[in-house]
Amino acid sequence: MTNNKSVADGYKNNRVGPILRSGDVANAAVEAVEIDNPEKEIEIQDRSAYIRIQCEDECILTRQSMEEMLGRPFEMRELELNLSSFAGQIDTTPEQVRFYMNQHI
Amino acid sequence: MGILDRSEYYDLTRTTNWSPSYVTEDELYPESMSGSRGIPMEKWEAFDEPYKVAYGEYVMTQREKDSGAYSVKAALERSNFVENADPGWVSTLKAHYGAIAVPEYAAMTGEARMARFSKAPGNRNMAVYGMMDETRHGQIQLYFPHEHTDKSRQWDWAHKAMHTNEWGALAARHFFDDMMMTRDAISVSIMLTFAFETGFTNMQFLGLAADAAEAGDHTFANLISSIQTDEARHAQQGGPNLKILLENGMKEDAQRMIDVSFWRSWKLFSVLTGPMMDYYTPLEHRAQSFKEFMQEWIIGQFERQIHDIGLDTPWYWDEFVRALDETHHGMHLGVWYWRPTVWWNPAAGVSPDERDWLEEKYPGWNDSWGSCWDVIIDNLVDGKPELTGPATLPMICNMSNIPIVGTPGPGWNVKDYPLEHNGRLYHFGSGPDRWCFEQEPERYQGHLSFIDRFLAGQIQPMDLNGGLAYMGLSPGEMGDDAHDYAWVAHYQTEQRAAS
Repeated sequence: MTNNKSVADGYKNNRVGPILRSGDVANAAVEAVEIDNPEKEIEIQDRSAYIRIQCEDECILTRQSMEEMLGRPFEMRELELNLSSFAGQIDTTPEQVRFYMNQHI
Repeated sequence: MGILDRSEYYDLTRTTNWSPSYVTEDELYPESMSGSRGIPMEKWEAFDEPYKVAYGEYVMTQREKDSGAYSVKAALERSNFVENADPGWVSTLKAHYGAIAVPEYAAMTGEARMARFSKAPGNRNMAVYGMMDETRHGQIQLYFPHEHTDKSRQWDWAHKAMHTNEWGALAARHFFDDMMMTRDAISVSIMLTFAFETGFTNMQFLGLAADAAEAGDHTFANLISSIQTDEARHAQQGGPNLKILLENGMKEDAQRMIDVSFWRSWKLFSVLTGPMMDYYTPLEHRAQSFKEFMQEWIIGQFERQIHDIGLDTPWYWDEFVRALDETHHGMHLGVWYWRPTVWWNPAAGVSPDERDWLEEKYPGWNDSWGSCWDVIIDNLVDGKPELTGPATLPMICNMSNIPIVGTPGPGWNVKDYPLEHNGRLYHFGSGPDRWCFEQEPERYQGHLSFIDRFLAGQIQPMDLNGGLAYMGLSPGEMGDDAHDYAWVAHYQTEQRAAS
């Protein structure tokens, strides 16, 4: 029917990053990832209930940038309230969350 | 006094393995429950969960999640959304709660298995949170639909469905029992948390949330996307166990578990999520097609993760990709046709505008499934509704326990995949379904599908009414067309104009 080859090869990508429930935290994260990943091209997909933020190979989100964008104190654990899913692997510390791939394909 | 940073105590407090002196290690961790596969204890101690949470943080975060979900519900209760919503969307809600709420307790049991029997201390620790997560999901998804039980007895099925022999409930239980209730701790971490939760639950809890938000159902969108934030965390238990299996030369075993769970999940979602997204959700509120959501969540995101861990694409990948254009259309046609046998009112979703959308998303739809709907529509237009309902039973797959479907029309490919095993003839809806059975025939061989039970004389009288009684469906519960056939009027006008 449709182009099955391109559908079948859809996994051949290196996109990583958070998928956040829409709201203040997601909006702040959209701006914070720009600060935390200065060399990267960030792709945003807004699907009303959730916002998919992604870039190639590695995506970092720091507590400091989130505080700057929200204009209030922010604990990294608060991200979980809105982190519905993520692409790639995850590594969490109290100062940052890192999304990454082990292997670039 | 300063509070220690989590990273300064986490590793120490997680180190909870010890050498038993009153019992042997095998008695403390029986293989059938632990599933350590001969890998020694110290190797399991290398388990390092990537998504770390301490108990204090967990409690604080979960309290905030619950107060958020319940506050939105309370704030929007007076807007009477459900009373005014499109009946197709209401059917989505009824089907969701019946199929999902009670199985959350089964997931809790799976988490409990890991919390008690995994040899990896980090796995046990994470699974304690997972148990509490799943208990929350069970309770909240029974509480939210409860306010609607005065509107229709179908809403009772949020709690009732899994306690009946309704065919969809049989299929869901066969799947959830297999993935959650009857596997060792390591298999649960891979088949439930990794394959089902990292992958497929995103379809039902985020993809559908996008449709819910578009439809204006903010209570439901907020609820299910909140649930998925728990999943995103506790789904991270499979990854570290997969790493340990791979490091110990057990890639084949790991790959087999993922391939079984992936296929079984896909089939369940083809009958549950597929019709909701492509037929029940009002056209103007469809964020994406079911296939597009599958491409986003399962192919683009989940399959990529499988590769990143060092595993391969399932052997049936081409078959799966082809089925994305087919299976759920057949499932929907079957569910609508056998509509008295479900606890919700299926929306046909085949008005001219909707058919245009289906043709655009699935080129060739009108020549295949559309040709079957043409017959149904002609019968409804001609005032013969009795010809649009079931007189016989569909053939049911002995693995997925849902109907055996294929593409109708010129590309006809409806086919049974039989297997004779220990003198019994089994029927499957696809090669991969049969393959799943062949991996562990002793696990599945005794189960009787709805059709097997019918043929064995367990369902009496042997007709539709006997079947409905066996399924626990009474008048007021059994489904009918969601829009009470109002959509047929357009075709009647069209036919009158033509004649």
